[in-house]
Amino acid sequence: MPEIRVTPLGAGQDVGRSCILVSIAGKNVMLDCGMHMGFNDDRRFPDFSYITQNGRLTDFLDCVIISHFHLDHCGALPYFSEMVGYDGPIYMTHPTQAICPILLEDYRKIAVDKKGEANFFTSQMIKDCMKKVVAVHLHQTVQVDDELEIKAYYAGHVLGAAMFQIKVGSESVVYTGDYNMTPDRHLGAAWIDKCRPNLLITESTYATTIRDSKRCRERDFLKKVHETVERGGKVLIPVFALGRAQELCILLETFWERMNLKVPIYFSTGLTEKANHYYKLFIPWTNQKIRKTFVQRNMFEFKHIKAFDRAFADNPGPMVVFATPGMLHAGQSLQIFRKWAGNEKNMVIMPGYCVQGTVGHKILSGQRKLEMEGRQVLEVKMQVEYMSFSAHADAKGIMQLVGQAEPESVLLVHGEAKKMEFLKQKIEQELRRQLAWAACTETPQHPCRHLAGAAEAGDGLLPEAKKPRLLHGTLIMKDSNFRLVSSEQALKELGLAEHQLRFTCRVHLHDTRKEQETALRVYSHLKSILKDHCVQHLPDGSVTVESILIQAAAPSEDPGTKVLLVSWTYQDEELGSFLTSLLKKGLPQALS
Amino acid sequence: MDPEDDWLVESLRLYQDFYAFDLSGATRVLEWIDDKGVFVAGYESLKKNEILHLKLPLRLSVKENQGLFPERDFRVRHGGFSDRSIFDLKHVPHTRLLVTSGLPGCYLQVWQVAEDSDVIKAVNTIAVHEKEESLWPRVAVFSSMAPGVLHGARLRSLQVTDLESEKTTYTTDVSDSEELSSLQVLDADTFAFCCASGRLGLVDTRQKWAPLENRSTGPGSGERWCAEVGNKGQGPGPSIASLGSDGRLCLLDPRNLCHPVSSVQCPVSIPSPDPELLRVTWAPGLKNCLAISGFDGTVQVYDTTSWDGTGSQVEPLFTHRGHIFLEGGRMDPAPVVTTHTWHPCRPRTLLSATNDASLHVWDWVDLRTSC
Repeated sequence: MPEIRVTPLGAGQDVGRSCILVSIAGKNVMLDCGMHMGFNDDRRFPDFSYITQNGRLTDFLDCVIISHFHLDHCGALPYFSEMVGYDGPIYMTHPTQAICPILLEDYRKIAVDKKGEANFFTSQMIKDCMKKVVAVHLHQTVQVDDELEIKAYYAGHVLGAAMFQIKVGSESVVYTGDYNMTPDRHLGAAWIDKCRPNLLITESTYATTIRDSKRCRERDFLKKVHETVERGGKVLIPVFALGRAQELCILLETFWERMNLKVPIYFSTGLTEKANHYYKLFIPWTNQKIRKTFVQRNMFEFKHIKAFDRAFADNPGPMVVFATPGMLHAGQSLQIFRKWAGNEKNMVIMPGYCVQGTVGHKILSGQRKLEMEGRQVLEVKMQVEYMSFSAHADAKGIMQLVGQAEPESVLLVHGEAKKMEFLKQKIEQELRRQLAWAACTETPQHPCRHLAGAAEAGDGLLPEAKKPRLLHGTLIMKDSNFRLVSSEQALKELGLAEHQLRFTCRVHLHDTRKEQETALRVYSHLKSILKDHCVQHLPDGSVTVESILIQAAAPSEDPGTKVLLVSWTYQDEELGSFLTSLLKKGLPQALS
Repeated sequence: MDPEDDWLVESLRLYQDFYAFDLSGATRVLEWIDDKGVFVAGYESLKKNEILHLKLPLRLSVKENQGLFPERDFRVRHGGFSDRSIFDLKHVPHTRLLVTSGLPGCYLQVWQVAEDSDVIKAVNTIAVHEKEESLWPRVAVFSSMAPGVLHGARLRSLQVTDLESEKTTYTTDVSDSEELSSLQVLDADTFAFCCASGRLGLVDTRQKWAPLENRSTGPGSGERWCAEVGNKGQGPGPSIASLGSDGRLCLLDPRNLCHPVSSVQCPVSIPSPDPELLRVTWAPGLKNCLAISGFDGTVQVYDTTSWDGTGSQVEPLFTHRGHIFLEGGRMDPAPVVTTHTWHPCRPRTLLSATNDASLHVWDWVDLRTSC
């Protein structure tokens, strides 16, 4: 009987927290590859020996999926791929791919340069690891191989975070990673369709909490900053280059504007460039509503926030400074900290977790006397505030997700079975049936029934010419009368003009021949691949595939390049996208 | 800036600290268990209600170094399900038992809070003297070696039931059908009651029914009253506060219940949309301070130190408007505070809940003393 097997590989005592192995219908997928933040030695990495005993990881694992860039989800990735050894694909979203290496490098610097650790991954290993990454889009079905497909869903939480559906035939598992069900200033709420997976694997650390509203947490931050500057003190906020910093800046900017405050706010140089980088990554990631707000005013261009110069740290009077790095372990933020630590009027606000060994970790543990280089002792008189801005789903949020996905069974990761009895009852009530339960300390074996239903074809796959098509129609409700009519008829009846939407894409090809010849090559190529579609070469040189038009043009600047214009209507989106990707791969060399 | 943002900015000045939570169901109950946890319970009539044991955010529980605790969330330590709506919940001190009361008022439910799991389980029921369809019995607990539950919907149905033996250890033996609105245990032998009519009494259970009470109800009957005794009825001064649905607040001395020490008119919107929700509580950590709620979406705090005479208008020392401004727009009509309670140790911290399932924890600033 086909089964789904879940093996938590997590590090240290927190089994399952950072790395989960799922076997589904013979395929093996690793979900996340994080480090345990509480340990300083090898215990921080998951124990992969459980799977390596089966032979080479690359042979055993079909793929690795990383849900988001937090170190407790990706921190062990370079160790895993380069030191233990794995050469298969690693899937993650585009923003995760962009941000992961930055955080991994930061983390590496702390471990090696700061703490002098040996047996740690190198910068080159991070680069080599990232070469194995295949970035995915949201809601894009990705064929890992003939049988295994994965799809990413928006998870909120942080930029680029995704929940993943893993499907083999009719069996599927959804892994949530970390997610959030309440939208905040820039990230929407997680969302998944009624995919009815056989198993939903959800993080349950916050399952038993009821979260304080985001507004109140922001209020707390503003209050602390305001009180400090009011009494003439300076506020230091160590941040990572990307992520929370932008959000806090927007918050302060809005508040400063509202209160007409004149106290200077500074943003460390280097952060501004990163802010733009973040902005570019971020805009495609957010939803329409938030995007509109950003269009009205570029939220990353600030009126009250200026670039910092290290000389400013010595200026008298109140100020607020955002500086990197985030754990006060080196660089500018540590420099500023040393200058300001001795004055009790000042404040340092730590917006996130700090790894052991860093100054940030020490002061958050309550240490008030720090030994710095040269055996100097720094007395910390400034106020230390630890604030958490991360967004996680709480009890209510988990219920919402369960209601959306409608899984057959639920696995609560990182939860003690006995302590979760009430939550289990709640979930069963929500789904109106009994569920199979397993604690993460066991290796649950989940028998699946075969579910009826067709597999979906999506982007990247050649759309079937003869597959059932989506029907477009308009439902007209008048009095208590319902009619389903074609869109054209509806437009006529309502007296509306029909608008045609046409997409055009340019594909650049390296081809020294004349454009007519390029067009011919395109025609032959497409004809050989799209056997079930109507491919024609028109007298004017253009190529058509069904109603999609392809024309070759020669830009004057570069005779070695040809530009293909691919144009399709909104109704042919699927085929149009497919053709564009296909053509981007280039044309085969002419035979003979 | 929208009104919510405006209020939040204002709140920087008004509150030392402020937390806002969304429960999965509205509660009319806020019952403390030590100073680190509260119980809440749902009161919907057509679906299963949850009873939750919530542990306060760490920040509120630690005495020092609060700044180093980032957690601002409630932790659901235990939970259970009830088929009936729950209007009152009392924890039996020094045990893991709870007693709840709701509609229909045919019995009280006893629950056990598990030790090795997170479940609150129904274990037992307590029969009531007189079954009522539309009235629910008020509940108070005599804690002693053998805890007893004081309960009743009317004066004549008041009784004390021993939890262990389930035997009735006290009854009033009167035929008075007056409806009860508040019940409060003062010490091992005394309790206080307040009827909906405003009639107040202090009862010694060692004697046959002979309460110290005020026979006269204030002018303008038709109002509904509730009351609370501060300081367990000891100490000098007026320690009984009685609140009417017309906004009148009377302070009484236990030694002379017939003549209120003072009677004031609170600036509240009347009539109260649901007089059963009225609540008046004395601050355990502040002298002469009390709080009232149930008229609208606010909780008002008063300093009664200089109150005297009758009929004077008073102004609250502080008004909590968070429930109206914070996402209040989504509720139409406006939310009403269902219950509130003071933190046992932190002098100016209160918890308040509304009928739209919000729960606030707030620490207000006494603007008279701040410079």
